[in-house]
Amino acid sequence: MLSGIVFAIGLVGVTTSRHVIKVLLSLELLLAASNLSFVAFSKFNGDYAGQLIVFFVILVAAAEVAIGLAIIVLMYRQLSTIQADALKEMKW
Amino acid sequence: MFPVINWNLVSLEVLMSIILVGLTVLDIVLPKNTQKDWLGLLSFIALLGLIAFWLTQGALRGVTFSGMFVMDPLAWFFKAFFLVVMVFIFAMTREFFKSLGERRNEFYLLLWLALIGMCLIASSADFLMLFISIEVLTISLYVMTAYLKTDKLSIEAGMKYLILGSLAAGFFLYGISFLYGAAHSTHFGVIEYFCRTHAMSSMTLFALVLIFAAVSFKAAAVPFNLWVADVYQGAPTPVTALLSVGSKAAGFVVLMRLFFFVFNAWHPQWSLVLAILSAITMTYGNLIAMFQTNIKRLLGYSSVAHAGYLLMGLAAGTALGAAGINYYLLGYLFTNLAAFMVIVVFSMAAGSDAIADYAGLSRRSGILALGLLLALVSLAGIPPLAGFFGKFILLMAVIKSGYVWLALIAAANIVVSFYYYLMVARRVYVDPPAADAAPVVVAQGLRLLLIFAMAGIIAIGIFQGPFFNAALTAIK
Repeated sequence: MLSGIVFAIGLVGVTTSRHVIKVLLSLELLLAASNLSFVAFSKFNGDYAGQLIVFFVILVAAAEVAIGLAIIVLMYRQLSTIQADALKEMKW
Repeated sequence: MFPVINWNLVSLEVLMSIILVGLTVLDIVLPKNTQKDWLGLLSFIALLGLIAFWLTQGALRGVTFSGMFVMDPLAWFFKAFFLVVMVFIFAMTREFFKSLGERRNEFYLLLWLALIGMCLIASSADFLMLFISIEVLTISLYVMTAYLKTDKLSIEAGMKYLILGSLAAGFFLYGISFLYGAAHSTHFGVIEYFCRTHAMSSMTLFALVLIFAAVSFKAAAVPFNLWVADVYQGAPTPVTALLSVGSKAAGFVVLMRLFFFVFNAWHPQWSLVLAILSAITMTYGNLIAMFQTNIKRLLGYSSVAHAGYLLMGLAAGTALGAAGINYYLLGYLFTNLAAFMVIVVFSMAAGSDAIADYAGLSRRSGILALGLLLALVSLAGIPPLAGFFGKFILLMAVIKSGYVWLALIAAANIVVSFYYYLMVARRVYVDPPAADAAPVVVAQGLRLLLIFAMAGIIAIGIFQGPFFNAALTAIK
């Protein structure tokens, strides 16, 4: 299924991206993959609950990105960079 | 025709929402430069009122909102639990954010939002409802974690928490979508019926793994525990306390609902997996905790270890295991919150969370040292304190379910954990304080709460009967 491919791309993106905005984008892909899968199953099962869920997911995803971007702004102000490598102050 | 909604069942959530909206309006209306902390004070009074109200609602049960919202003894127990947690968190916040001025008010609103999220989690009977209430909790926690916006550690913690949290949300949703595909519904009751009538297929196994992984993010168990130490260290201490007790309990109420009710029919398949994960989680947490130099980080890894102990109750899969989890969490509430209260007060006075700086605390403040000692000893599980009896029930539950090897690993782990808990205790009581160390002053309100928490640790350890009964009735 297509959703599996999108999910895999998102997962790889989250784990390998060095750029925080790219990580956020990949996270969006993960949620989009779930949406796709919900709609596909909804069509397959012949009921509408799955399509309903997608609206809620889009809502939550929007909220998550808003917070994510806000934290990225904070990060840029303090560290003057948005590379994920800069987040290494704490280890072990 | 519209389904009838029974508003009585959601009275707590409705009241909390009204309070949240009221406080928001008040925040806007009140003069900005006032010195008095009105919102904190009102929140505190409102919380105490809600607890009094909630204690009278013990017999409340039923289902409403088309089966999405369930009110049962388990939900009642955990809502009471979350309310008590919040009393402590609000008190810590008032102290910790004194320097923040009016930004503190928004923090209170976020705390209320998190509380509503946790209470909804405890009552969810549908995966859609569960997903949304988890996100209500998690998203407000993201903001709170990164709240110290000029502190690099806080921002780093917020970013890491957000990335891993969203990853977990993605896993959760993808898992739900497969379960929905298989069972044609996201409702717990329908899925429970599906589990009873169908054997586990590769599709539902995949869904189960994804869902468990995502919920273990909240519970701070392996495999999703990588955020724990960093976020615990970087987040403002009241948020760390909320994460370590409230958020973890929310994770476990979900796990209990899912594994003791929804997927109960597949118990033989998942029981062994949970037992192995439990062993890995506790060993990982305890081994790494030994090398920590920051007390918040140490408690972070200790929290992972305790998630491992709690998973034993799930692996046992019996009523005794479930009651053990409830009892353990009850003891854990007072124990961990006492420790974090000490950390808040100490870090305000000394400006540090390094364990080395705790040297000679007993000569700087007797009550702080005593509180920390009791908390550490209870976490380590030495009788007669709360932590001991909780561990005892959980061990008994896994032995009765036939996992003797797991009980042995847990016992070894408990012995290992003595080392690092008592190391801190030794620093506090034996090591001499630094030459320029001044006595630490504890504010009156926090002193009372700390005494209350200490009394809780001792009472739960000594008078097990009533507390164990409460834990047992919660799972009926």
